[in-house]
Amino acid sequence: MKSPSPASINILSALGLALAATLAVLFFAGAPPLTTLTVLFGGGLNSTASLLKTFSSFIPLFLCATALLATYAAGLWNIGVEGQITLGAVFAAGFLRLPDPGSFPPALALILALTAAFAGGALWALLAGALRVYGRVHEIFSGLGLNFAATGVTLWLILGPWKRAGMASLSGTEPLPEAFRLPGFAGKPASMAGLVLAVAAFALVVWLLRRTTWGLKLAAVRQNLKAARLMGLSPGRRMLQAMALCGGLAGLAGGLLVTGLYHRLIPSISGNFGYTAILAVLMVSLAPSFVPVACFFFAVLLAGAVQLPMALELDSSLSGVIQGVLVLAFLAAGRMGIGGKLGGKLGGKPGGRLEGRLTGDTT
Amino acid sequence: MNRERAVDVFLSHITKRYGRILANDGVTVALKPGRIHGLLGENGAGKSTLMRVLAGHILCDEGFIEVDGVRHAGLTPGAAMGLGIGILSQDPLDFPPLAAWENFALGGPPRTRKQARDRLAELSESLGFSLRPDEPVERFTVAERQQLELARLMDADVRLLILDEPTTGISPEQKDILFGILRNFAANKGRIVILVTHKLPEAEELCHEVLVMRRGRLVGSFEPPYDAGLLLETMFGPEAAKAATEPEITGQAAMAAIRVREAAAPQKAQAPALAELADAAFSDEKSALPPVSLSLRPGEVVGVAGVAGGGQELFLRGLAGLARIRSGRYVLGGADMRGQGMAAFSRAGVHFLPASRMEEGLFPGLSLADHARLGFPRETGDLRDLFTRRFVDRFHVPNQPTAPASSLSGGNQQRLLLSLIPDDTRLLVAESPTRGLDVASCVQVWEHLHALAAKGTAVVFSSEDLDEILARSGRILVFFNRRLTADTPAAGQTVRGLGRHMTGRAAHSATKSPA
Repeated sequence: MKSPSPASINILSALGLALAATLAVLFFAGAPPLTTLTVLFGGGLNSTASLLKTFSSFIPLFLCATALLATYAAGLWNIGVEGQITLGAVFAAGFLRLPDPGSFPPALALILALTAAFAGGALWALLAGALRVYGRVHEIFSGLGLNFAATGVTLWLILGPWKRAGMASLSGTEPLPEAFRLPGFAGKPASMAGLVLAVAAFALVVWLLRRTTWGLKLAAVRQNLKAARLMGLSPGRRMLQAMALCGGLAGLAGGLLVTGLYHRLIPSISGNFGYTAILAVLMVSLAPSFVPVACFFFAVLLAGAVQLPMALELDSSLSGVIQGVLVLAFLAAGRMGIGGKLGGKLGGKPGGRLEGRLTGDTT
Repeated sequence: MNRERAVDVFLSHITKRYGRILANDGVTVALKPGRIHGLLGENGAGKSTLMRVLAGHILCDEGFIEVDGVRHAGLTPGAAMGLGIGILSQDPLDFPPLAAWENFALGGPPRTRKQARDRLAELSESLGFSLRPDEPVERFTVAERQQLELARLMDADVRLLILDEPTTGISPEQKDILFGILRNFAANKGRIVILVTHKLPEAEELCHEVLVMRRGRLVGSFEPPYDAGLLLETMFGPEAAKAATEPEITGQAAMAAIRVREAAAPQKAQAPALAELADAAFSDEKSALPPVSLSLRPGEVVGVAGVAGGGQELFLRGLAGLARIRSGRYVLGGADMRGQGMAAFSRAGVHFLPASRMEEGLFPGLSLADHARLGFPRETGDLRDLFTRRFVDRFHVPNQPTAPASSLSGGNQQRLLLSLIPDDTRLLVAESPTRGLDVASCVQVWEHLHALAAKGTAVVFSSEDLDEILARSGRILVFFNRRLTADTPAAGQTVRGLGRHMTGRAAHSATKSPA
């Protein structure tokens, strides 16, 4: 990051606006504003346990946000991340039902399960991609529809074919055998392997988008679909590739949720991480360098929200309101020039390939 | 308001800036009642900006408009219409899916369906149009859309009528009808017409006074008899005026030019066909062409003419691999291209140059160097070097590899697109390659296209400018009503003759017309 520059001062003014809007919401919600904020932002940071909790949300969030960079780079509004996480979770859980925990090497089982998760997410995303490329169905509609379909699939599996012996329960499927769980961290289910995978995925995606011709082609597709076609860049294939990569990473997040956090398939396993990741990426106007920060910020908020009912007898859904208000305020500040052109200035080289998506054209 | 009185309009020191560009720089004009004023100037001279200020579409930064002695610092479209100022835009401002009478009724006083249709019929009759009231406007030709728009303006009783390049895309006969209407309009009750054009002969034919704009300023005002040389010099500056007269050559001069080009491509006559269409029928989502049969030889320069919507657009796209081949055969370099994708056409050496450069050809937010990388993916060496050698030195693209394409002017956009045409292109399909370009850029485009043809590339291009087609091609195809109505050598053709083909009035003439 550069030293303080006009751009970063603008970011601060955008943050100021966001904070003011949040305080206004809290005021009208009848919550003590400052205490609430302390709980929200401090709750996820004030102890090792809560830090681990923060990290366990950070990993799927960061993976999904990374995934979204790939589709946004190609100009695709992939809002089907939720469903892609879910299908990843389904594939991982489904795979781990197959081998015998006594004899199958656990490391191999986990690697294969995560691979299956990647494939599951990619498949679900490719459905939306194919509908867009061959069927002219916009990915927003197919993504939304497939999210519902994915929820239906998990519920059916949990209550039907994969129900626990003797009882079908919404609490989920039979827990995984110990051997097929990702090693925890300090006894807590926050897996180091997940963090490593997320960071590696982020580095890979940013490298692909910024340094390779493939990334340039995605940028070309986003900039001008017609010209990309005329130049023989096969825009349809590029979009499918971006969707597959995005869905794969989201599926991986789902696989990590199964093997590292919940240790079984539960209903709504995607836990809104997909939607929150969209907010995180939008908040930093798709500037990759700021994506980890934004994801961590939201992870802190999510962890803090859990403590709202205990500490202040406020409903934790207030955190959702605050998240939404923050992102809106940020976007508004960027769009209306209060915070300068966030999209154009946050990170990235001039004429960069990812920035400016929000403040620029949306064709 | 007294609409019977002669209208009196005065524009004072109109200045309009777009960022750093001064589109209008203190323009002062007095418009005289009962006159047809021609407003001439090359592209980007500021004609349209000035007219849009007058019609209230945009506000000027400085200056004022005085109508009937009342000063207005700025007008809105509604206020301008209220004063009786109407504009016929280059692209008609209508609603294509709505029926003609619905378009006519919009913006006018409240009327029932019957009243609107009756009024439209009455106006059509007095103007000599035959507009089908229930037909959606999207099925109209450009000329008919223009006529409908004109009827709407007449209904609103405009006293000052602005026409922005009204003869683009209409036939010479339709032009004559239009000009007749304009003469009547101006002669009646002291009304004013402003004709914005870059076509000198039209201004000479119609206008009582010609105003010339150059680089945002009003640089000259002329009355008949006009001196074409002086007008051109005023429009383009002295050095470019000579080049500007070049597209005007026809007849003998055109034939001489073609002979030169044929000599430059000696293999043309004997060489086997590069592309062969045998009853090839192209279609896209919106329309379909009947089967077309013809062959293209290496080194040929083929001009394609037709009024807008005549089918030549789809024909060009089909040739370039951008439309479906419904039936028949399209053999290119020995391979049947039916069912092949764009990539296969690229491999076969086909390149398409779109008319809407920024919308279809370039990536606005990507840098010039990124365009070079995308256009020459197999270039393994230093990209900077390729950019300097090819893009800057050879095609005069600005030497700013990191600048985004959106910062380029129209001429530079076309230069960038020219540099992206591979040198080994075998069939170049160019859609209006000089549309909207200034004279120097046009010259560069044609130098390059003819150089490609001399090396054996078949060049197929379309143009709205029949003079350009006559001057630049060796063979001419004319489309009318979605059919290929003429396939003829350019030598001996005239604008009038092509115009007859374009409007389907030459069905019984001697030129061979394939089924």
